[in-house]
Amino acid sequence: MNQGESTDTITSIEKHQINDSQQVHGSSYFSPNCAVASWNTQGENHSLRENGVLSNSGYNHDQLVEPTLKNVQDGMSSAPVVSTSSSIPANVAQGYGGYAAYPNTDPYGYSSTGYAAYYNQYQPQPSQYQQQPSQYQPQSNQYQQQSDQYQQQTNQSYPHHVGAYQNTGAPYQPLSSIQNTGSYAGPASYSNTYYNPGDYQTSGSYTSGNYGTQTNLWDGGQYATYSSHQYQNYTQDSNSAYSSTTAVATPQYQQPYKQWEDYYNQTQTEVSCAPGTENISVSVAYSLNSSVPSGSTAYTAPSNQMPTAYTPLWRPESSSSEMTSMQGGYSLLDACKTWRKLEESAAVGSLCSEDDPISGNTPEGYWKHGASAFQHDPPNAVQPHAQKPQDVIPAYESSQNQQSSTFSQGSTALYPASYQVSQSHPSSFQAVSQPCEPLDSRKASKLQIPTNPRIASNLPSSQSKIDKDGSMTSAAAKPAYISVPMQKPNAKVIPHEEADPMLKPVMFPKSLRGYVERALARCKNDRQKAACQAIMKEVITKATADGTLYTKDWDIEPLFPMPDSIAVDKDDTHSQLQTSAMPKSKSPSRRAKSRWEPIPEEKVVDKSSDISPGTAKYGGWNNKKFSGGKIENKDNFGTKFSVTYQKSLGKNAARPAKKQRLGEDLNAADDGETSSDSDKEPSLTKYYSAATALADSPEEKKRRENRSKRFDKGNGNRAEKTNIRAKDVGAGNLYARRASAVVLSRTFDESGSRAVEDIDWDALTVKGTCQEIEKRYLRLTSAPDPATVRPEEVLEKALLMVQNSQKNYLYKCDQLKSIRQDLTVQHIRNELTVKVYETHARLAIEVGDLPEYNQGPPVSNVQEAGRSDGVGAWGDSSTVDIRLSADAKKDKAVKHALSVRSAVTSGNYVMFFRLYKTAPNLNTLLMDLYVEKMRYAAVKCMLRSYRPTVPVSYLSQILGFTNALPTSEASDEKELDAVEECMEWLKAHGACLISDGSGETLLDTKELPFPFTNGSSALFVYWQLVRSFIAFLCEEHEWGSIEVAANNRDNE
Amino acid sequence: MVAYISMGEAHRRITEYLTRFSDAVSYQDGKSLSRLLSVSSNSAVLLSLADALNIYQDANRVIRQSEKYSQYADIIVPIFRALQSYRLRNLVESYVAFEKASNAFIQEFRNWESAWALEALYLIAYEIRILAERADIELASIGKTPEKLKGAGSFLMKVFGVLAGKGPKRVGALYVTCQLFKTYFKLGTVHLCRSVIRSIETARIFDFEEFPVRDKVTYMYYTGRLEVYNENFPAADHKLSYALTHCDAKKDANIRMILKYLIPVKLSIGILPRTLLLENFNLNEYSEVVLALKRGDLRLLRHALQEHEDRFLRSGVYLVLEKLELQVYQRLVKKIYIMQKQKDPNKAHQIKLDVIVKALKWLEMDMDVDEVECIMSILIYKNLMKGYFAHKSKVVVLSKQDPFPKLNGKPVNS
Repeated sequence: MNQGESTDTITSIEKHQINDSQQVHGSSYFSPNCAVASWNTQGENHSLRENGVLSNSGYNHDQLVEPTLKNVQDGMSSAPVVSTSSSIPANVAQGYGGYAAYPNTDPYGYSSTGYAAYYNQYQPQPSQYQQQPSQYQPQSNQYQQQSDQYQQQTNQSYPHHVGAYQNTGAPYQPLSSIQNTGSYAGPASYSNTYYNPGDYQTSGSYTSGNYGTQTNLWDGGQYATYSSHQYQNYTQDSNSAYSSTTAVATPQYQQPYKQWEDYYNQTQTEVSCAPGTENISVSVAYSLNSSVPSGSTAYTAPSNQMPTAYTPLWRPESSSSEMTSMQGGYSLLDACKTWRKLEESAAVGSLCSEDDPISGNTPEGYWKHGASAFQHDPPNAVQPHAQKPQDVIPAYESSQNQQSSTFSQGSTALYPASYQVSQSHPSSFQAVSQPCEPLDSRKASKLQIPTNPRIASNLPSSQSKIDKDGSMTSAAAKPAYISVPMQKPNAKVIPHEEADPMLKPVMFPKSLRGYVERALARCKNDRQKAACQAIMKEVITKATADGTLYTKDWDIEPLFPMPDSIAVDKDDTHSQLQTSAMPKSKSPSRRAKSRWEPIPEEKVVDKSSDISPGTAKYGGWNNKKFSGGKIENKDNFGTKFSVTYQKSLGKNAARPAKKQRLGEDLNAADDGETSSDSDKEPSLTKYYSAATALADSPEEKKRRENRSKRFDKGNGNRAEKTNIRAKDVGAGNLYARRASAVVLSRTFDESGSRAVEDIDWDALTVKGTCQEIEKRYLRLTSAPDPATVRPEEVLEKALLMVQNSQKNYLYKCDQLKSIRQDLTVQHIRNELTVKVYETHARLAIEVGDLPEYNQGPPVSNVQEAGRSDGVGAWGDSSTVDIRLSADAKKDKAVKHALSVRSAVTSGNYVMFFRLYKTAPNLNTLLMDLYVEKMRYAAVKCMLRSYRPTVPVSYLSQILGFTNALPTSEASDEKELDAVEECMEWLKAHGACLISDGSGETLLDTKELPFPFTNGSSALFVYWQLVRSFIAFLCEEHEWGSIEVAANNRDNE
Repeated sequence: MVAYISMGEAHRRITEYLTRFSDAVSYQDGKSLSRLLSVSSNSAVLLSLADALNIYQDANRVIRQSEKYSQYADIIVPIFRALQSYRLRNLVESYVAFEKASNAFIQEFRNWESAWALEALYLIAYEIRILAERADIELASIGKTPEKLKGAGSFLMKVFGVLAGKGPKRVGALYVTCQLFKTYFKLGTVHLCRSVIRSIETARIFDFEEFPVRDKVTYMYYTGRLEVYNENFPAADHKLSYALTHCDAKKDANIRMILKYLIPVKLSIGILPRTLLLENFNLNEYSEVVLALKRGDLRLLRHALQEHEDRFLRSGVYLVLEKLELQVYQRLVKKIYIMQKQKDPNKAHQIKLDVIVKALKWLEMDMDVDEVECIMSILIYKNLMKGYFAHKSKVVVLSKQDPFPKLNGKPVNS
């Protein structure tokens, strides 16, 4: 097979697409042949499904029936076969097999991207293929982008995903970077990688076991969430991979199939974090696909659907629970094990009932459900867990029933409302099994919140939502649809009918017609189409209103993103919940460009915890949601949020969610939430504490005190102040507070959904209200939420807390970063800022974390911030660049630093140690890093050049053991001590000391057993530092005038 | 002037462009195609087309009217937009549109078996960088984060991926690599070069000699610079010398750029340039440095470094030049040695520390005995001087044979 050839890092892209897919795939399985086979089939199925379900179901069938055929062919040859029905560009994509479909589902955030598949499916006509190249393009982008990383990584599949995530936007980047650093080694499941980066990552870390910790430490909750998602996925994966080996041929096919489904799901969920509407719509598409009740397609569709529907449900759930439960990877591992078991059994079940896709799959869904419930339990022990496996069973049955009924066009009350099974499912659960209700609802909220407000709408108790009917399907188009909404089926229909005439292209310019066609062509199914129509209607209405209808160049007008599943879901729910049709309300209008919409998952969690199994609470949830939206301010991050919600607010008097409009209200609401968070603390605490154990016990306090004393001694003046202040801070209930802070921060970070680049940060300067002292650092991916930003006083306390904390450096670093973040978003630039930066720099120096130190802001930033002796920290020593302005150069500290740099550069140890003795500010600390190295280098040098001996007293003076100059008499004693120390040092390093007649000890330079070897490597590190700094400086053109005051901190 | 174009004229221009485009593709004429894509070239044809586009709003319909054009709509539509925006000096939009077009283009490019369109691809690689740079300037001027060049970098990486294969297109990879280098150097993210270099130098599909000379020279220049950065002087010497010898002798500016790095490298391995060379290529900033090395004049060296500090720092050779100090010391001691030898050959190999300190005093270098001792020790340690230092008597005792070994193309031991 020619797949093997593609091991070269650089092969043509085309090759990659095909070969990689296979290769990668193969690697994930133990028996490559079987694996590839099944995979291929899978892929074909998928692409086929994508391409031709509607048009060409028979074809699809063929694929399924003849897996062996596919197997024999390698990727290249199989592609053409598949693509007979599609155009050439499509072929390339189809070479991917399953992948082809996959990228489409991915939300790149670019509106035009992911629709190729749907496009095909919708109506395969030649004209549509014109668009295909562009549609596939994103895919290729993805591909290439990986190739960046690709070069660096040997792994082929991995980069793929990185690329994808890059597209999606900033928040993902960290994720990918983590992957780079951490889990590359993971050998197992590259196939996962293909589909999503997280998987890969997870797999790697899974093996290493570090995973959980890693993410949590370095990432915000968001990432953590993701990873946990992926984690699950991974397990599932492995599950199928392993079990598949034993499985019979047919089952095998089935199983992987499901697996891929899962991938899709995974994508969806993940994507959902990204604001990409497309993504959501994708999910809709899937489920829709299956739910179209036509008899012929039923077979394939349901089988797909079920997993799709269910997985989202449990997955987010479990992930969130894990998140809450633990930071450490171990719990995750455990959970995964449980999972795997469950999965396996589920898989078996589904295999057995292959003929009956619905029943076969449903069990799986059910099982998954159960699994999630299980998992959920340990972490959230505090919460009442109604759902146990036993309980679930009835629920499951009912749901099954419902589903089947759905398929048969059933209009069962609960189920049908939303096409998306995921949503409806929880609700059905609720209805059927009472005990499950709280949990389910929580689940539901958890699950969905991330993506959007639809959760709320899903819940029966929630207040009626805005009506989305704009996005409703046209009644005529889908009879099935009508039948579905059992409760208020009619509400929607009306608007649709209205919409239809609007959409009629008759009186519109041709280009607009083209636009509409294009837009509709993207739709995969009726439902989507309906949503599209609604959006278009709005677009056109708007254009008409502002008179641009005829002037606008519709040909170049970018298509609006596919309507979200949210929108659709909402519609569904609305139909359910809302009697009054609001024909005028707009459907989500065009989406802003934001590419990702962080999932406020954590929020959900805590919210849900607050919620007791009643109904009323959901209102609260809504509020929260709104607050999230509010923060976004004017920018339409998801159109749904701002537009729809606001609108709904206007219309819905009943809604308590007015807060959205008013910042103050918002804050109030958030405060309320904050307090409620404390309820949650126990579990959250657990979560946080995994990384660093901390207790409020007396010993703890004592230790802390001790430590601060030590600090005192070591650093003299600087620690004093902090020490005193430490007392007011107290050991306190930091623990709990931190826990809630974590929640908050997560909420904070995830609530936004606007692309970072779109945010005008200045306009978003906030005044923090958060009173938590501890807060984890999360990279800000959205507008800051005042409720999670700490005001200056609190930050001051936080700084003290960090300074006095005896936790490890990583913790402190994290805390300091979050402090810095809060300072930044509040535009606080004063003494405190300088202090924070200094502290951070100092810590970094103390632990010798040069990279972190180097990451520090350029000196100028700190200086501009206010007190100019900020140089003390970041302006220290060699890192200060040589291109400072003339003024800066006159500064003592800077001058000193420059001299140190040149002393180190030239290896001038005499100069170095002289400077060491006179170092101002923190320079001493930084120089400490090099003292040993310089001594090594110096002695090494002297051993080579001096003959026959060197007096130790001289060495001790030259090498900085002696503090005072030899001439001062008072220091005689000290000097003796220093000589002693020097001798000790020399001996410790294996020098050969002799003594002459007069009692003078000499270093014998003729003897050379002196193992002075590590000096140079140490210096090398230093070089890196210097070099990187200078590189930075060279690029930094705006250095301009930096003002450095002469007063030094040490003078305090 | 824009207003004077009639709709008909505008339509004609647009159609003409479209015809040329599709002709270039169907005739596989890479050169003409590239001319049609060079948004930033300010060519008269493209400028007038841009005017036409600004008049004639419905160009897209024209494109879609014919199958001939519409198959390239993904390229042409954004190209039009890029041209329009460029004409209106909206560089950011122009860049964005151009990137879109470029993506569509490489998608097509992939499907073309032969390498006929390499020329056009080169142009795209070039344009995207140029446009990104300009867009970044625009972004910076309105206070936004300049990020387009970064985006161009990843796009170029993608292009590299397209070319890095076994087919005939692989010869284009080096051009793209060079564009990547330029991007990364501009961005200050030179570490990103590593991956590309690795694939160029290790991948079996690439035969370095097979690439066009132009690209080879550029490549060697940039990798040579990187080696300077890494202070790997022999390698830097090799690469830059390669670039120098293969560079078109008429391209003075290019030669000068190479020399800017080659001279410090050569200096640090003990090879001094002729004064004429420095004069011919207007590299006078080095002349004092060279003089200091010849004379053993530390003061002059420091002065030269200070005077051209900015320039040296920007080009990244400051640290290299700074290291010449040791050679200057060596030269100074050697001079003292020669003078002593003239006075009394027997005692010439013993140089008192005081003498050296005094010599440095004359140069207004304020160094005390300890420091000078340290310097001597370093000189001996680095094998710039053979001999030893007697601490007790404060005397440098030089070897009688070749007390000052020449570097002869080898870097100073470190």
